[in-house]
Amino acid sequence: MFRNYLLTAWKVFMRRKLFTAINLLCIVLTLVVLMVIASLLETAFHPSGVEGRSDRFLQVFTIRMDGHEDGHRSTSPLGYKLIEKYLKPMPGVERVAAVTLPASVSVYQGPNVSELQMRHADADYWKVLDFRLLAGRLPTAADDAAGRMIAVLNASSARRLFPGAPKAAIGQRIDVGGQMFEVVGVVEDAMHLNAYADIWAPISTFTSSDYRNELTGMFVALVMAERSADIARIRDQVAQIARGVVADDPKEWKRIYFWADGKLDLFARILTNSDDVPDSGAGKLLAGITVAMIVFMLLPALNLVNLNTGRIMERRSEIGVRKAFGATSSQLAVQLVIENVLLCLAGGLIALLATAGVLAWLESADLIPYLKVELNLAVFGWGMLIATVFGLLSGVLPAWKMSRLDPVHALKGAI
Amino acid sequence: MFRHLLKLTWKRKSRNLMLSLEILLAFAIVFAVTAFGLRYAQLYRMPLGFDGTDVWSVAVQAGDNGNRRFDDAVYDSLRRGVGELPEVSSVGFAAFEPYAMSTSSSDLRRDGESGKQVRTELLDADDGLARVLGLELVEGRWFSALDNGSAQRPVVINRRMAQAMFPGERALGQQFVDGKGTHVSSTYRVVGVVDAFRAKGELAAPVNFVFTRFEPGKNDRDARTMLLKVKPGTARDFERRLNARLKLIRNDWSYQIEPLSSTRASMMKSRIIPLIVVGIIAAFMLLMVAFGLFGALWQNTTQRIPEIGLRRALGASAGQIYRQIVAEQFMLSSIAIALALLLLVQLPLTGALGDNLNWQVFTGAAMLSMAVIYLLSLLCAVYPGWRASRLSPTEALHYE
Repeated sequence: MFRNYLLTAWKVFMRRKLFTAINLLCIVLTLVVLMVIASLLETAFHPSGVEGRSDRFLQVFTIRMDGHEDGHRSTSPLGYKLIEKYLKPMPGVERVAAVTLPASVSVYQGPNVSELQMRHADADYWKVLDFRLLAGRLPTAADDAAGRMIAVLNASSARRLFPGAPKAAIGQRIDVGGQMFEVVGVVEDAMHLNAYADIWAPISTFTSSDYRNELTGMFVALVMAERSADIARIRDQVAQIARGVVADDPKEWKRIYFWADGKLDLFARILTNSDDVPDSGAGKLLAGITVAMIVFMLLPALNLVNLNTGRIMERRSEIGVRKAFGATSSQLAVQLVIENVLLCLAGGLIALLATAGVLAWLESADLIPYLKVELNLAVFGWGMLIATVFGLLSGVLPAWKMSRLDPVHALKGAI
Repeated sequence: MFRHLLKLTWKRKSRNLMLSLEILLAFAIVFAVTAFGLRYAQLYRMPLGFDGTDVWSVAVQAGDNGNRRFDDAVYDSLRRGVGELPEVSSVGFAAFEPYAMSTSSSDLRRDGESGKQVRTELLDADDGLARVLGLELVEGRWFSALDNGSAQRPVVINRRMAQAMFPGERALGQQFVDGKGTHVSSTYRVVGVVDAFRAKGELAAPVNFVFTRFEPGKNDRDARTMLLKVKPGTARDFERRLNARLKLIRNDWSYQIEPLSSTRASMMKSRIIPLIVVGIIAAFMLLMVAFGLFGALWQNTTQRIPEIGLRRALGASAGQIYRQIVAEQFMLSSIAIALALLLLVQLPLTGALGDNLNWQVFTGAAMLSMAVIYLLSLLCAVYPGWRASRLSPTEALHYE
């Protein structure tokens, strides 16, 4: 039976090649847009490569302090004191890393000025994230302790500052905003939340050590669990710690909040501004994304409905015969929906190829620096899911219409 | 003829409903993109209020998270030390530079009156800023030593603010206050009015703006961004000499130096990129709608060949058939567009999007998108219509 459906579908598609092509093109255009979005989201929330261990670490991004007065509040990245005094001693975790948010700095080389994004990171940072080292070495705890003026560059910046192989940069000295650093390592470019930067230096190279005494500042903490199963426990642990933190000025600040979040939770928390409740709003965010995708599919689906309705009218004699021989309306409707879903899945496969092309173009066009999107099995699965939803969305209405055709009229060819 | 068309369209209402729904959605999408673009074009032509060419910003990072206050001597040494460089023609201080992402805003009101709060953006600025940014005052004067020891904090406001706070009155010399309810946290006195000031750049909507006078040590926050007007033609390598000079003044601080032109470029980019993304997606959608309409009309005319044959047999010319197909499509599009406009006109009527969708933008966007949709749907009707009109009556009547 199913084979018959397939054969009929194939015959119908081949009979009107122009319309099949138009149908396919519409499907492919829609799915490419959705799949590009899906793969960007997949890369952001389930990265591979440098942040590939994201199922094992949590991020603490912001600290919110509420004052005694109503509406008096401050939200900012963490200070180093908070990480060193409260988070680093946490039991039952593999390690806790501190790193600053990227800040733009100028590198002076003779008459040339290059603007780079710089992070200050401790030795643990390099162990939490999985950077691919191209030349030299990564900073160690000994470098932190000695306050050595060393820096790590990413491949693009190394090439820009010191043309040639990544090795050429090792041992060179650079002037970053008036401070001299020695380049000790070159790592691969990375565009990820915690990994993105052009140049890294140990935290102890800051010009003044005031950062050690601050609860708020410009740091982010990465908490690495031993096993991914520990994540939920660590989340509770951090929430517990946050309740015990005493503000520098308890007279001004009454309550302090910070949360350890996975990637999706972090994004949802920032977007929904829910920095005073344990729930990050990730469920709401996912629902929002799904609704937005379905709304986006509305116009293309309507388009496909119009095309499909036209096609049914051409097949009314076939439908009449099948009805006269006892096919029920629901059987016919299911058949048409299956046909439509098949066409959408075929379109999905083509769209997947086109998506690979679009992503390759996005990577080379440099709109987002160091972007690297992988088309993995998960993206393939998402793509097929989107294609199926789209097929259902656009197939149900014409199918219902078709199943309602009166066999007598259909056989006679009247509408 | 028209009634006949209406009747034909009505006979196939469910099919036509889907088609016009599709046109309606397409119209809404084109409208959104053109309104977005037109608003930017409109904003770009509005006066900016300052001149950012050859201006550099230096953010002083003292590593204390802004908790301490710089005193007069610190500002003086910075001002003097940098001013000595031959490239620098004037120096000013502000809380942050124009085109920066930072905003500081507050609800201000007139003293004594409980009631109307005016949402305003504020910027702390010192006496030198007007020269650096080339601010031109239409009334009054910029801050100067005359304001030292003034009981109220002197402010310069933009004309939009003057109209919002003191409608129909002269703003100069008037006062307003900050604070909730009866509580007054600070009182301001207007010493000057500038024509316009849009700190976020050419593509930002005009806002009420207040410059508050910055005096070292007297305010609750420092103005730690130094703005320099440099001689025209100063190259980027000046940054190194500037940085070296700043390091001579305070070695343990760091300085983030940037020409305003590059801050402007990144601000523009952050506003233009969404438009480009939306535009590309909309273009794809339109392409799809074009294919879809073309296909649907083609199938429509194929189905109606017997009807067309009958009309031809009764003496209708090829041109008349052609005109009928095109006119039907035109009518369908008109109905869809009228419906879409009826829905969209609610936006400026209710003011849901505020000034971002004012009547000028609305009319412009409506006109443009009408042109696009009519063109699209007529283009899609031309070929199927031509194909239908070409059929000879005998062929058409025998068509199966």
